Amino acid sequence: MSNSPTPPIDMNHIVIDSNRIAFRYQTAATAQSADTPPVIPAALDDVTLTIPHGEFVVLCGQSGCGKTTFTRLLNGLIPTFHTGDLTGTCSVYGLRSGHSSIEEYAAVVGSVFQNPKTQYFNAFVADELAFPCENAGWEPSAIRERMQEVASSFGITHLLDRSIFRLSGGQKQRIAVAAACMLRPRLLVLDEPTSNLDAQAMADLNAMLAQIKASGVTIVVAEHRLAWCVDLADRYVLFDSGRIALDCSAERFRDLPERRRERWGLRALDMTPFHAAVRQSVANAGQSRTDAAPLPANGTIQDQSASGTAVIATRGLTVGYRETRVFGRFRRRRPDAAAFSRTIPDLTLHAGRIVGLMGHNGAGKTTLVRTLVGLAKPLDGGILRYGETASPSELTRHGFLVMQDVNYQLFADSVRGELLLSTPYRDEFDAPEDVLQAADRILADLDLMELSDRHPMSLSGGQKQRTAIASALMCNKELIVLDEPTSGLDLKHMRQVGALLRTLADRGKAVLVVTHDEELAAQWCDEVVMIRP
Amino acid sequence: MTDAQRTASDTASKARGFAALSIPDLITIGVFTAIYFALVAVCTFASAIIFAGFGSILLPALCALVAGCGPYRGRRRRAFRFDGRHRLRLDPRAKLFLLLEANLLLFCHVNTRTEALLTALFLLPLFLSGRIRSGVRFTLIYGALLALSLIEPPTEGRGAWLAIFPMIAVGIRMLLPCLITGAFAFTTTSPGEFTAALRRMHVPEAVIIPCIVVIRFFPTLREDYRHIRNAMALRGIPSGGGSPLRHPAQSLEYIIVPLLMNATVVAQDLSVAAMTKGLGNPGRHTSMTDIRIGIPDWAIMILCALPLILFLTGVL
Repeated sequence: MSNSPTPPIDMNHIVIDSNRIAFRYQTAATAQSADTPPVIPAALDDVTLTIPHGEFVVLCGQSGCGKTTFTRLLNGLIPTFHTGDLTGTCSVYGLRSGHSSIEEYAAVVGSVFQNPKTQYFNAFVADELAFPCENAGWEPSAIRERMQEVASSFGITHLLDRSIFRLSGGQKQRIAVAAACMLRPRLLVLDEPTSNLDAQAMADLNAMLAQIKASGVTIVVAEHRLAWCVDLADRYVLFDSGRIALDCSAERFRDLPERRRERWGLRALDMTPFHAAVRQSVANAGQSRTDAAPLPANGTIQDQSASGTAVIATRGLTVGYRETRVFGRFRRRRPDAAAFSRTIPDLTLHAGRIVGLMGHNGAGKTTLVRTLVGLAKPLDGGILRYGETASPSELTRHGFLVMQDVNYQLFADSVRGELLLSTPYRDEFDAPEDVLQAADRILADLDLMELSDRHPMSLSGGQKQRTAIASALMCNKELIVLDEPTSGLDLKHMRQVGALLRTLADRGKAVLVVTHDEELAAQWCDEVVMIRP
Repeated sequence: MTDAQRTASDTASKARGFAALSIPDLITIGVFTAIYFALVAVCTFASAIIFAGFGSILLPALCALVAGCGPYRGRRRRAFRFDGRHRLRLDPRAKLFLLLEANLLLFCHVNTRTEALLTALFLLPLFLSGRIRSGVRFTLIYGALLALSLIEPPTEGRGAWLAIFPMIAVGIRMLLPCLITGAFAFTTTSPGEFTAALRRMHVPEAVIIPCIVVIRFFPTLREDYRHIRNAMALRGIPSGGGSPLRHPAQSLEYIIVPLLMNATVVAQDLSVAAMTKGLGNPGRHTSMTDIRIGIPDWAIMILCALPLILFLTGVL
């Protein structure tokens, strides 16, 4: 990025100029996420905003406030890909929305999206980096040169020959930013880039953006997690139901009382208190664990008196997986046959308690929870259920995992059907009265009653999550594990998830939450366990 | 979409030689082709196992694909090892030629002598390009199958049923050239090189784009399938290895429907990613890799073509 050939532009030069923009998505089907309600209000309403060259602007606001829609206007996806009624004018470095083609935008605007899994087009890193240049018709030697330049400036040279599927979420997001920079864009647009990232990956992203900003690129980030880019932002623009509610400099925004930002549904600007609370909680848990360790037999009794019964406990557990190969038998077995293994400190999950599970990507959190619900076999050690060793299939019968992508977990054609699927009665008409009543009680408890006849795929993300949990309650699961339930959620929805966890715990379930979200861990978990690689 | 915009995108797609299909359409085609391929592969192999001798004409092509899917499974850290200048690196077009010839071999019903000779020739580039381990593996398997198929079992009496082993051995042996060339072509060529080769052969972008998407989507499909199987286990829906056979309708509903649901989402996200990176550019698209058919490529192609020509002309 250092020797970018773009001519120096006056810093006060207005490069993004939107004038009385209003936009309404055409149909629910064309809107990207299911979160959009069927009756669509205007996504943007009378938005007038100018951004000078080289500024780092954070667009913030609750989900559905229009910040993502505005980023789509900047990278030309509106109105070419996301069609709808657009009025007003918006010009981005001389490109006018509705008149310039999306290919013209591609040369000037780099885009990074929310989901690291689906925003790359090629299977390998080098191909993905070369992709924008290939489309622009660069010469092969020029592409290779540019790729080396970008890779070395961002420190990703070692990743170049990897398959993107092997990378962690944070690495994927760095590749996405690097790919967006290949054509030397004047403007970089990021739409909630951190929603699936841990703290370390966010710090890496921050460093990358600092470098890009220093090279004179205008950056626009739509985000409701504010803490990670607080040192870079020059200006904050707050959206509220499609309108600009506040437009102020970074200094003024930081001086606002935290209370006000909370009222706007924004996540905390300063994570220090949550960080401290999490550390304290981890320390407490470690303390009680060392107390209990010499007397394991007494320990369980103590635990019972302290809180609910210990549902699941691990003893000397090592989790991991072995490399499977098609022709594995033809190879000599190496002594370290496990491709991945972690020894987990002993862990006890009580009924009625919420335990947070934290740790960096690759620390083995996912493998641990898969083992706890019986989807993976432990490599060593055992898992006790009510004090007795339990087999993986037993754990699967009594545990439930709410996956990060909950879409995989919904099979039926209505929300009520989803609950009945967990019973021997597959159909609403076969089920006896008491089963239907039990189902209705659960639906009412989880606020799903009005949605009971809707198709699960027509629900919003949070509603799908609740439906999956309802199905688990229906088959009386004792342990409910949630994998990153708050990724990409604003404050209001994060609190809803927190309250949901409490509801589950109050029903006597043991709740385990895998999360990177320190706000969630600090405010809603009774205990936090940190796993270190 | 304004009229100006519509005409702009129309002229853009016309310039690329396909008036009706836009980038999102092509990507959707790629995604669903991948699903279709996966389903056909599963069904073909299942039927080949259940009804032994049920020879589908798709089988050789599928064998080649399956043999070469190693790097795309995303397991290995470094997918394609291109280190070492002394190693042979063939042009993707030469590899495709070998693959085509191996497929042709199956249809021509060549005699065992020609087949053995050609298999040895197909193994040669595998060794020369540094894939020693898989080369040795294929040599051993082919040798064993050849030996087994040359045994003459008693045709009547108590041991007559033993004849089934040489029969199966011949069946698998005939597929091996496809497997070998497939493994060679797909494990030593990165998708970028393939794209470059397709562009050099003046294949229209309307074909290249779905091809890239198919390669990109296979690993996703695998991940999705695993997630769905896990979700089924957690819900108490039978999800073991044999369950698709025992409950075919149910498996179809619970596996395919979520797969398709997810595929539409992925297709849309990929379209967005591709369009913001200028995939719709009407101009010439280039490739990062330079590819050139050199003397080694011609040598290998001629060497491998020779035995087949000799056989077809009746010399061998």
